[in-house]
Amino acid sequence: MIERRQALWVIYLSLGVALMTMLLPLPMEWRLLRPDFVALALFYWVLALPHRVGVTTAFGVGLAQDLIEGAPIGISSFGLMLATLVLLFSYQRVRQFDGLQQSVVMLALMVLSSGVEGWLRTGVDLPTLPLTGLLGFAMSMLCWIPTRHVCRQLRRHYGVV
Amino acid sequence: MLFIFREDPRVNAVQRGAIDGVAFATSFVLAPLDAWDRLRNGFQSRSSLQEEVLRLQQENRVLKGQSQRLASLLSENARYKALLNSARDIEDELIAAQITSLSPDPARHIVMLNKGINDGVADGQPVLGAEGLIGQVTSSGNRNSRVVLITDSAHALPVQVNRSGLRAIAEGSGSIDRLVIRHLPATTDIRVGDLLVTSGLGGRFPHGYPVARVTEVIVLEGDAFATVFAAPSSLLDRGRYVLVVMWGDLQREAAL
Repeated sequence: MIERRQALWVIYLSLGVALMTMLLPLPMEWRLLRPDFVALALFYWVLALPHRVGVTTAFGVGLAQDLIEGAPIGISSFGLMLATLVLLFSYQRVRQFDGLQQSVVMLALMVLSSGVEGWLRTGVDLPTLPLTGLLGFAMSMLCWIPTRHVCRQLRRHYGVV
Repeated sequence: MLFIFREDPRVNAVQRGAIDGVAFATSFVLAPLDAWDRLRNGFQSRSSLQEEVLRLQQENRVLKGQSQRLASLLSENARYKALLNSARDIEDELIAAQITSLSPDPARHIVMLNKGINDGVADGQPVLGAEGLIGQVTSSGNRNSRVVLITDSAHALPVQVNRSGLRAIAEGSGSIDRLVIRHLPATTDIRVGDLLVTSGLGGRFPHGYPVARVTEVIVLEGDAFATVFAAPSSLLDRGRYVLVVMWGDLQREAAL
């Protein structure tokens, strides 16, 4: 019997590291520009291993994000779950895209997830992102190709399947 | 589902635990930066340290002089109050704390302090900066706590114009150097440069701490209400050291 390495911890470690990037100190007004590595890493794993990482993981990641931000618990989960679901329906097509096209898809997914989050926040009377928050999405979009590269190297090196 | 359970004590316990967890993770992430700071401080020159000591000594002398007058005024005030038979002011106890990080959520103005329940910090306690009120504790873990700043756009506090005693509500604007007062009648006596202090109404904040200075009064022709902008007295994005006021139920009852 061939033993197959299933280094699933790589997935959770990379998501954990992405969550840690949220903690990097930035000046108050610059926080808008922070690329959303958490969503990018999550979307990468959904795209690469849709049978491993799905809506449940998205839920967990959203929960961790809320605990870190001190937001009402679960408020960013819903958006991430929805975006993950969209990606799960279309991952075969998105895989065929080149990096630039994928970046645009990621942008759309992130706008979807934070749009839903903003909508929920409005529901509980919490402040939402100003319009300049779109710059943050642009930054995230630029970071898609590097993130994909790093995650892909990790996946191949550890043979995560 | 989580929305329904958001007030559940078990959920709150997890959130409180997460505060300490996040603080620990932050210190982990910041460790290289801290080490660099410590290294640089270690190599600070003797002369610059001496200069600093001199400066602080002078500042201390000035402050001591001022506090002498303050002490006599306080006792005088207490005597008058005793004569008037009114409630005695309880002196506010302070806890010194340090801001360790900002919340990663760009839409909010939330900071993390390195003092928690174990040090006597509790939800709702006001937090002071060098020049005035900067916010209040919203949730506290055992060793760390979260503070929402007065400029957060979900925050509002009752203030009073120091000059005229006029009461108003100062709301956060979501921008770090600005508070907004809406719904003041257009004929109200409020001017640029007026100092806003906490009014103590509602019992959340003690009376008399400086909050902001009015920077702009906008009265549109024909409008019934004026819009007033004010800049917080303390620079909220500068400085790391803050004071948490031990302002519990005891003090609240005495004040009201």
